[in-house]
Amino acid sequence: MSVTSQYSFATRAGVQIQRGGRSRLTTITITAIFIIIAFLFLVPLYWMVLSSVRPLGLIFTSGTNLLPNEATLDNYAKLFRTVPYVNWFANSIVQSVGFSVASVAICALGGFALAKYRFRGRNVIFLLILLSQMIPFYLLVIPLFVIIVKIGLVDTLIGAILPLAAHPIGIFFMRQYMLSIEDELLDAARVDGASEYRLFFSVVVPIIRPAIATLLVLFALEYWNNLLWPLIVFRSPDRMPLAVGLSTLVTQYFPSYDLVMAGSTLATLPIIVLFLFLRRQFMEGFGAMGTGMK
Amino acid sequence: MNRVTTLVNSRKVAPWVFLAPFLILFIVFKVFPVVLAVLMSFQKIQGINTGVFNGTANYEALASNVRFGVALRNTTVYTIATLLVLIPIPLVIAVLLDSGRVVKATVFRTILFLPALTSLVVVGSVFRAVLTPTGLLNSALAQFGLQPQRWLEVADLAIPSLVLLAVWRWTGINIIYFNSGLVNISKEFYEAASIDGANPFQLFWHITLPLLRPTTLFVVILSIIGGFQVFVEPYILYPGGQSPGDGGLSLAYLIYRTAFNSFNLGSAAAMGVILALIIFILSLIQFRFFGAFQREG
Repeated sequence: MSVTSQYSFATRAGVQIQRGGRSRLTTITITAIFIIIAFLFLVPLYWMVLSSVRPLGLIFTSGTNLLPNEATLDNYAKLFRTVPYVNWFANSIVQSVGFSVASVAICALGGFALAKYRFRGRNVIFLLILLSQMIPFYLLVIPLFVIIVKIGLVDTLIGAILPLAAHPIGIFFMRQYMLSIEDELLDAARVDGASEYRLFFSVVVPIIRPAIATLLVLFALEYWNNLLWPLIVFRSPDRMPLAVGLSTLVTQYFPSYDLVMAGSTLATLPIIVLFLFLRRQFMEGFGAMGTGMK
Repeated sequence: MNRVTTLVNSRKVAPWVFLAPFLILFIVFKVFPVVLAVLMSFQKIQGINTGVFNGTANYEALASNVRFGVALRNTTVYTIATLLVLIPIPLVIAVLLDSGRVVKATVFRTILFLPALTSLVVVGSVFRAVLTPTGLLNSALAQFGLQPQRWLEVADLAIPSLVLLAVWRWTGINIIYFNSGLVNISKEFYEAASIDGANPFQLFWHITLPLLRPTTLFVVILSIIGGFQVFVEPYILYPGGQSPGDGGLSLAYLIYRTAFNSFNLGSAAAMGVILALIIFILSLIQFRFFGAFQREG
């Protein structure tokens, strides 16, 4: 094999693709291993859905049978009959969207100030925000509990959302995204007589729309899946979001797994469907978090 | 009035207006609570109102608190175990998926990412069911002629069970992190090294690993911060969060119990301060060890 063909097939990840039968065999072998891994990763989710349509008596007596035996929707009927599941679901939507919109808005505004203005204390503020990411929520949660009890925010939407809204990753993400906006563009708008606030809404927001979309999706998902803070804020069963409601079902000594599996399935499937539509937003969003840049 | 408008609109004031909502919430719900938590850790607190300073009594009590020691040990072992598994495996998978050696790599990346979408409450519920004595895992083990295990009923298997859950939940997301680091590495490095006769393993060792360092640092720090705060998993896996022999007792869970079941807020705050110090020191060591961030620009 010539040197030329060897290096032109060299890939970024450091594995060279060589022509010939041996290489095809390698591709088939590695792909086969990945099929097994993918199967193992899908099994728990599939088993959850499967158990949700099985009679309770069969959930733990079906062994490794992965085919639906005696499929039934009774578990779902029982779920809606015995717990305020519709409330939990609606609460989760309202709280996730509320949190996501509020947090992204204040992060975009703050990120703009950090990215595009020079002012005293800017670097100190930015550093403090970054460092705050290391503070474990289990330290904050104790005083936060005292604070929301004292100002009467227990069991309220505001109490669930506001303490989490100043999101360090959100403002960091927005700042990094906005660093790439050209100063000339902003100055041109200023010359045309736009105020600093007009500037933000009519020049900056259209540019950062992809970042806003990504962050909205990530933050809504984060709240939807969050347990600890809503667990502390909400006391009334009909005000709880899904994660808290489900946790009340499963933390018992003998959970009713028919309810747990039906409730878990309904909490998960909408997210997966949404994900399949917005796959790029989700995966690139997480990826952007990993590199710290868009 | 006009002067006020001009002032608010000036480039000196505008950034503060933009920053105000974030900054106010940040001070009220982050900075102030940190100060309050540290103060509370030096107080004896009954209920949520009265706090009496009692020096370092809370910390001294922790030093002789057996459960705190167990929780600290479990959390450390869990974090190390997740680091040992959840850094190399996703890294290798990400490299393989990026190598062109896998047919339909995007499909596999997507499937492995699905668990990251699920609530930890759901993951915990499903694994609690899968890990019961007659559950899916033991049934599968039996099919392969392996011994069934009492996963959630003996102390020694608590951390392996938690790590199993973590592998399922976090592998896909770490793959995405590593993948976004990989696509930023220029192909030219590999081409140049290939001409010099480097084999795939040398390329991986001498090019991929060093150039992936910022991403690896990020994932390691994230894993440490996450690992030391493990809470939902033991809370859901065990009835009422109570694991046999405290095998699955985590620091975060102990803080939660101490604060919200025993209402011993002072002691819980002291544990929180210790947890914060551990995370802070470990993160600093990582920065020193891996070198500073090279992402500013």
